[in-house]
Amino acid sequence: MNPTSDLGSEPDDFDPHELEPGDFRDEVYSFEFWFQAVDGYLRDRPYGHSVPGREVTLEPSRREALITTLCNYCVGETAALEGASGMIEFAPNRHAKIFLATQVVDEARHLEVFLHRLADLGVEDPEAEIVARANPSLVRFKERLLEFVAGRDWDAAVFAQNVVLETMENTAFRAHETTADPVTAEVLDGVIKDERRHLGFGENDLGARLMREPGVRSRLTEIRAELDPLVLGTFEAAMGDLGADTARREALGREYLTAIERLGLA
Amino acid sequence: MALNKSLGPDYVKGIRVAEPGPGVKSGTGLNKGTLMSDFLNAYSIQRWLELCPQGYLEDTVYGHGADEQEPLIEDEVLREAEIRTTVQLVVGERAALAASSGLVNAAPDYPSKRFLATQTLDEARHVEIFTQRLYDLGVKKDDLESTIDQFANPHLVKFAEVLLEKVDNKDFVAGVVGQNIVLEGMAFTVFEMLEAGNRQLNPKFAHTLEGTIADERRHVGFGENRIGSLIRQYPEKKPEIERMQQEMSYHMLNTFSSAFEESEEARAVEKELAQEAGVESAEWQGVDLASADTSELEGALENTVINEFKTRLARIGLEYQAPQGV
Repeated sequence: MNPTSDLGSEPDDFDPHELEPGDFRDEVYSFEFWFQAVDGYLRDRPYGHSVPGREVTLEPSRREALITTLCNYCVGETAALEGASGMIEFAPNRHAKIFLATQVVDEARHLEVFLHRLADLGVEDPEAEIVARANPSLVRFKERLLEFVAGRDWDAAVFAQNVVLETMENTAFRAHETTADPVTAEVLDGVIKDERRHLGFGENDLGARLMREPGVRSRLTEIRAELDPLVLGTFEAAMGDLGADTARREALGREYLTAIERLGLA
Repeated sequence: MALNKSLGPDYVKGIRVAEPGPGVKSGTGLNKGTLMSDFLNAYSIQRWLELCPQGYLEDTVYGHGADEQEPLIEDEVLREAEIRTTVQLVVGERAALAASSGLVNAAPDYPSKRFLATQTLDEARHVEIFTQRLYDLGVKKDDLESTIDQFANPHLVKFAEVLLEKVDNKDFVAGVVGQNIVLEGMAFTVFEMLEAGNRQLNPKFAHTLEGTIADERRHVGFGENRIGSLIRQYPEKKPEIERMQQEMSYHMLNTFSSAFEESEEARAVEKELAQEAGVESAEWQGVDLASADTSELEGALENTVINEFKTRLARIGLEYQAPQGV
């Protein structure tokens, strides 16, 4: 695709937020826009990284911790893949359906790159490892999200998936990126860029919904009260797997709570 | 679906590919005897990225060249016929989007989920590019849904409903046969015919169709290879799936019949204009697309689609069921 053709001759000056709402949706929630967004950071990065030779040999305990962490990333990404694909059917309009279709591929790609990373680390049966190492809080979160989706509950599903889950992942991935080996860090970098786009969709969709119907906020607050402990439980276990001290565990939880508070949705 | 629950992640291990699919070129390693797990890995997101957005869609806008425009259609009958045809494409692709996304959760293994994720975005892209063509033909954005409601063929809507009922029930095997063999097989052939007919008259639309044909070929290939092994394992599913195929085929043939009937006037105008413009004849399946009448076109399309169905269904161990009363 031609990255400049739809954006005029000076794509660097283009700011979709200056568009009218209808034009914004046409522009941003499209295959064309998605490809322009991802092409810059995915081209020449097969399976999310471009660094042959940057692979480092990890100490056994660090490798073991990384495998557990990646297995749980796979649980989260499977939740997001199944959640986003299930939401397409009851999405309220064509733009939302097309955006979610782009998200489906993003989430599937995340699952793929994490599975690939597990294979790099010598895990022979990643699917069995994922089942064995899955964090119970995260599994419960996934179940709850998919219940919202099965119930065709748009507000709850967007909030759980595109706000809470994406914020949780964004917080965890950013924290991990700072300490990860070079290959894992580069993989995480591409994933984080996608997650920002997904979070933006959730914020826009629910923000507009709250403008029209402020009463929805109390519902979102209830859902958040139910999901926050699952997120914090996931962090707690993840930090335990990594051998993090109490201060670091608390910091991660605080960072998530601050990020979600800042959105002002619930 | 109940069947899905019995298919664990170990399911694909050790199963071998029956035959390479039509979208699978020789030399890719996906030949007879390839391990199913290896075959599914070749349908990865990475491969899709390289093949599709970074491959044949590179330097395109809404599927065609950036400098290509929809030809101005002054004749109102012809313009309405183009809108009517494009509406059917949007309806079909919306069904395909709903089906492929709905099947992700029913897929029994990660590689199938990942392939269906790429198919979901392919179908969303098709919805987008055909919707864009409606705008290019002069449909106003505010009139999009009413235009689709006005022109959508009721038989095509019914065709989609039969498929989506299986998807709603999370019936992975029936859903993939309905989607990737029947719907995609039909779309693939219709797109090929439209592409051949538009190559000279409307290169922009022909190029748009080229990309969708390449996508559909991949989807059909996945359907044949993934489902063949499941049908062999669950032969008791055959009668139900064959009934679905028969019902979908019934609605498909009725869609063709009413579509060609509605297009007779436009076809006459089109032939006249082609003659005036000295357009060279384009042949498809032995039919001269510039001079054939609607009954010849309908016959060629029906025969081609049904022969495709027979071949593809046989590859997965099913027998084509001719619809009754068409």
